[in-house]
Amino acid sequence: MTIVKIDPLTRIEGHLKIETVMDTNTDSKFKEKFRVREARSTGLMFRGVEVLLQGRDPMDAQHIVQRICGVCPIAHGIASCMAQEVAYRTEATANGRLIQNLILVSDYIHSCFTHFYLLAALDFVNVKAILEYKGNDPKISGLKQWAQQELKDNRISPVAPFLPRYEGDYIENVDVNISLLAHYVQAFDMRALAYKMGCVFGGKMPHTMSLLPTGANVNVRVDDILSAKTKLEELITFINQVYLPDVALLAKSYPQYFKIGKGPEAFLCAGVFRESNYDMYIKPGVVINGALEEFNQEMITEDVRFSYYSSRSKMHPFESETKADPYKQGAYSWLKAPRYKRKAMQVGPAARLLVQYARKNNHEMCQLSDKLLEEIGGKPGDLNSAMGRHLARAVECKFIAERAMQWLDQLNPKEPSAKDFDLPETGIGYGCLEAPRGTLGHWLKIKNYVIENYQCVVPTTWNCSPRDDDGQPSAVEQSLEGTLVADAENPIEVGRVVRSFDPCIACSVH
Amino acid sequence: MNQISRREFLKMGASLAAMIGLGPLYAPALAEGLQEIVYGRVRILWLQGQSCTGCSVSLLDSASPGPVSLVTRYMSLAFHATLSAAQGQVAMDMIYQLVQKPGYVLIFEGAVPMGMPRASLVNDKPLEELLLPAVQNAGVVIAVGTCATYGGMPAAEGNPTGAASLRKFMEAKRLNTGNLLAVPNCPAPPESLVGSLAYYLKLGMPPKDPQFHRPTMFYSRSVHAECPRYHYYQNSQFASDFGDEHNCLFKLGCLGPISFSDCPRRQWNDRTNWCVRANSPCISCSSEYFCALKDVPFFRKGEAYRALKKTVNKSTESKSQGE
Repeated sequence: MTIVKIDPLTRIEGHLKIETVMDTNTDSKFKEKFRVREARSTGLMFRGVEVLLQGRDPMDAQHIVQRICGVCPIAHGIASCMAQEVAYRTEATANGRLIQNLILVSDYIHSCFTHFYLLAALDFVNVKAILEYKGNDPKISGLKQWAQQELKDNRISPVAPFLPRYEGDYIENVDVNISLLAHYVQAFDMRALAYKMGCVFGGKMPHTMSLLPTGANVNVRVDDILSAKTKLEELITFINQVYLPDVALLAKSYPQYFKIGKGPEAFLCAGVFRESNYDMYIKPGVVINGALEEFNQEMITEDVRFSYYSSRSKMHPFESETKADPYKQGAYSWLKAPRYKRKAMQVGPAARLLVQYARKNNHEMCQLSDKLLEEIGGKPGDLNSAMGRHLARAVECKFIAERAMQWLDQLNPKEPSAKDFDLPETGIGYGCLEAPRGTLGHWLKIKNYVIENYQCVVPTTWNCSPRDDDGQPSAVEQSLEGTLVADAENPIEVGRVVRSFDPCIACSVH
Repeated sequence: MNQISRREFLKMGASLAAMIGLGPLYAPALAEGLQEIVYGRVRILWLQGQSCTGCSVSLLDSASPGPVSLVTRYMSLAFHATLSAAQGQVAMDMIYQLVQKPGYVLIFEGAVPMGMPRASLVNDKPLEELLLPAVQNAGVVIAVGTCATYGGMPAAEGNPTGAASLRKFMEAKRLNTGNLLAVPNCPAPPESLVGSLAYYLKLGMPPKDPQFHRPTMFYSRSVHAECPRYHYYQNSQFASDFGDEHNCLFKLGCLGPISFSDCPRRQWNDRTNWCVRANSPCISCSSEYFCALKDVPFFRKGEAYRALKKTVNKSTESKSQGE
């Protein structure tokens, strides 16, 4: 038995520790020496945003909650606006919904590029291949010369931030490595461009300024539509010609990762991108062991037995509390453990896509996913895997970006983006939608015109939570069980599985 | 590294100088400052406390220099939790190796949970244990973002973790704040961070205010004074509802008058837009007042309701007393 700890687990958002217990692998079919018996996921940072919000003006919420996370602030802002709309007994205007969708799409695209290239790719791409580059692309040969110089200078950490790293089975083909590295470089500019598109409507990114219950502060202007359109066109080209083919290429290079990192067969999707006040582009739904049911937020509870809180356990978020107890015996994470009908759920792009399959919604999206899966001999069920999550994320990115073109066309410069509303003395409301990383919910209670209680249940809280009161491990903890590891000193396989969920710890603890 | 010519450096130095308001005379010096970041004479260690990573995201949206050059060449980013390939023990070893060789640049993002050390752990130890030697041995310490500068959102009224700024942490540990620079805003604009760094490397510590250590070149003029809607304020033309494209947003809650930042000129995301152009009142994300008090909400809409309730309560009270 070997205990392997990765702390800090870098190239995610925030402070995450993964601790695994490994046994010797006895299955002679595989050459790997170790097999993960069990895993523990630990979030290491706490701010208490839910506590800070108590007693504040409800309209402060959409700005304060964005600061929960600098990578996916927009989903938090919109969840808060939706919760307020319910509490104020009003609803979003058509322009308001579209503007919120467009800012959110910009954040989705930004997130996809960041995750695949900046965070996940370095687990697969062999950066050292750059030294063998013989072509004459100025950007890549610039990188090569820089790397050579760094190595020659004999520094403390040459070629940082790319080295040092865990050693492992990186891509061997030089051309594939170099092509992915070139796209890594390009992705930086593309993600900045995605935020520029959102900034046209949001005023600034991240932490956008124009979100408002019922819509947005910003008015629809024809010049803004054109400006956003130009940027979106360029992004769609990059998605179709570079991002999606790269993910497909990686999938073909590592087909075994469609069998590694399988999480629970329980998928949650709250739906996202409001097409009207009653309909969403990505439809909500819950699939547990293949059976589809309607998403119902009342089924959500939060456990804290293994979390650093002395709050009551198994509470619905409306009644949930946040009382920190940093020295609690037996606890091992700052994340609470949300459960749906007492089950640990998997959320994120793969869960969303599997729910769309089950609902027979978004045919084109499912068709493309089928086609890509066929190329490696897979089927939709294989989306529940480390590589499946990457594939689902890229497929979804293409379709929401293309859909956003139509939303731009639907904007009406003659109509307002928000409408007036009354603030109630008391009220309750909730807003559930899908953030790039999965299902997000905000629950709000107002008393005496100020916030009485505010609770957030966040994508990574679902995926990376500790065990619940019944001892049931979370999606990440379950997906690591059984993972084969070649070298316990260089547990690169563990990092690949965890990173496929795109964890965001600032979000998940808040 | 001959991919970047002297000429290009000069060009970027000039645009930096213009941005900082220094005039062309300083362009060559700033260009050399940039060159020093490029050639990696100075290593950068980037640590995060109670942060949301928004400042890192914002830095990577930098326009000139662009994000790629910034990370692979301009900044010699020895360690950054979001970008480094290194993880686990490999990462910790590298950080400790770096900290033992004084003179690097420490960039710190987020607040320090001084009232609850376990609210931010690195390798099972409170962040403070790593932060203390990292600050002591750094050549310059840059607090990036509003959380690191003032405590920011985690330190808002109610502050359950005792979140505090890097300055407060340094003062509590009796460390000299002479080499501290703070670059607020939520998130910190890439221009202010890169600009401050280039200035420091070539010309030494930029002029800064004594209380919060913010470089005056970016943080001495109020958003209000430079706001394109300033004349509406002077003419008392105020917006009464959201979505007003012209009038002054002061009565909706705009905090521009107490916010010292160059937002109106610099703008956001490569000058794509900024808050007031998007009809959004300034929420003072650059100041020590950001989120600070429950009684100072971002928007004034709710104030009217609460004030009305108070008056109603008072009048019913006096009525019942009268009876």
